[in-house]
Amino acid sequence: MITSLHRIIVIGRNTLTEAVRQKVLNVLLVFALVLVASSVLVSQLATPGLDNAGLFDPQIKFVKDFGCGAIGLFGFAIALLSTAQLIPDELGKRTIYTILAKPVRRSEFLLGKFLGVVLLVVLAVTLMSSAFGLSLYWQEVRGIAYADSIYGAGFPNFPEVVDRVHRYESEAAQIQARGGNAAAQMQEIRALDEKYRQEGVDSGAAKNSVEEESDWERCKGTVEAYDRDVRQIQDQVRDPQLIEAILLIFAKLIMTTGIALLISTFATSSIFTIVTTFMIYLIGHLESVARDVWLQRGAEVTIWQSGLLGLLSLLIPDMNSFTIVDEILAGNHVPWAHAVDLIGYASVYLVVLLAVSIVIFDYREI
Amino acid sequence: MTGLPLHLRLRRALLVALILGLWAPAKIVWELQIAGRQNQLRYQGVTLTRHLRDQLGQGLSIGVLSGMGNVVADFVWLEVTVAWENEEWFRMGGLINLCTALQPRFITFWDMGAWQLAWNASVAATKDLSLPNPLRREKASRFWIDQGLAIFKRGIENNPESWRLWADTGWLYEQRLGDYRMAAYYYGEAVKRPNCPTFYERFPAIMYGLAGDDREAYAAWQALWTRLTPEQRSQIQHQPTPADLAKIRDLETKLSIPKEKRVFPN
Repeated sequence: MITSLHRIIVIGRNTLTEAVRQKVLNVLLVFALVLVASSVLVSQLATPGLDNAGLFDPQIKFVKDFGCGAIGLFGFAIALLSTAQLIPDELGKRTIYTILAKPVRRSEFLLGKFLGVVLLVVLAVTLMSSAFGLSLYWQEVRGIAYADSIYGAGFPNFPEVVDRVHRYESEAAQIQARGGNAAAQMQEIRALDEKYRQEGVDSGAAKNSVEEESDWERCKGTVEAYDRDVRQIQDQVRDPQLIEAILLIFAKLIMTTGIALLISTFATSSIFTIVTTFMIYLIGHLESVARDVWLQRGAEVTIWQSGLLGLLSLLIPDMNSFTIVDEILAGNHVPWAHAVDLIGYASVYLVVLLAVSIVIFDYREI
Repeated sequence: MTGLPLHLRLRRALLVALILGLWAPAKIVWELQIAGRQNQLRYQGVTLTRHLRDQLGQGLSIGVLSGMGNVVADFVWLEVTVAWENEEWFRMGGLINLCTALQPRFITFWDMGAWQLAWNASVAATKDLSLPNPLRREKASRFWIDQGLAIFKRGIENNPESWRLWADTGWLYEQRLGDYRMAAYYYGEAVKRPNCPTFYERFPAIMYGLAGDDREAYAAWQALWTRLTPEQRSQIQHQPTPADLAKIRDLETKLSIPKEKRVFPN
């Protein structure tokens, strides 16, 4: 068992080394990194010229969508291209004969190759996720700088104003936290408010009208809105659910790798594997529709159509379920239990794909 | 592979059929359970219908089929901004509908889309000198307000738990239609949703006041106070502001509320 595992790891490591040396995959990775990083620049087109906090919603979403989209797309390309070449390359170079002539089982060879691709995908996803994290951070810095420029306009020293209002809020919060009589608390807070008002803040406001809002009130209102927007930006950028999204994308990529591996065990060329896997990937996004039509068969569906849809539903994985990632990117809550269920589905599907691949490859005439 | 003896081929086929035969029913049950939970979460995903396909074109449709509906929606949203800058209102309306169809759970598409139509397109219509008279301009303006309202209502249908959509629909009724009763209803619904900012709590009362319905307005102010526990009432953050207190006192005088029934008798 241990020696078998050792052989699988050795084959996996070699597969990874070979893959890393391939120019095509490196170029793809570079493209992905550039695309993820450039998302911040492209996002500016989402809502140019608006001056309210709503500005940041579409921009941050754009960076998230672009980043996760690039991870999914380029991860798919890297996984597919590297898997499709695994067996045809070994056959072409005739190295497979040397390996299989040694005490290496076919299943070990296949699992080792698969492990190599999984490691490659892990590496690519990690690199792209790091670039994604950096572009999100860049977006946060830009967003806060923009909020500074919008809210700070007209204040000679906005950071000082923010600091003073924060100090006032913290002291008022301390009074509230002490509890006790509400009227006494209110009295104390009014006194505090009066103290800050007396100290005065140069808000740059015009003072030619008696009715005009006082400087201090203006400062408080502005800083409150500023804080709300900054919090909103940070909440969206530092959303811990993004880790869930990346894990789901990874699960989908690994499932796709499994499909490509299965096809490559009986395919005679890489092109066939690439095209067929891509088709299955596309059909997988419509599998839920096929399944629903098959299960709720109406009078308008013939028995042949139903049979075909049933076959597709039974064999093709449901890729559309993984688009729940969009939900996370749109800022909605997706429970971890649901994500774990989807990852479990992908894992079991992968085990089935590997089992079928091993059976087919075991009987393949080489 | 072609040289493989028949019995080995059969054995291979049987093994593959056995594995798939065991997995396939479990797969369907599992997928149905996942789909059921996703429906519970109100996440339906995007189904590429013929109508959607016609609007998107071939390239973007492949994007949707590849599971990149969100990126496609973002690019369509860029077009919304371009249409807005060029004042192509009908095109903008169509694109907003497309964005919301592609990502019905992203609140900003509904929110900003409705705002674009009910405010920007509608105000532009009032200044559109190509229309022959003020009445036609008013009619065109009202058309865009209705379009914006329809977007908000569809947004609420898709995202009933979003306080933002309820509150902004109230805002539309208040600002664009002057229908304060409906505004009060929508603000009231917004307050029931999670994470709604507390300042919206007084909006229904203010709206009823603007609608001239003093009894409803007073009832709403009263409800604001009576829903609090005695402990909450003693907390500073729940104390009425001087402006609110003045409004309540005015209404009490106007409606001749007996002193013992007043919210704040002193």
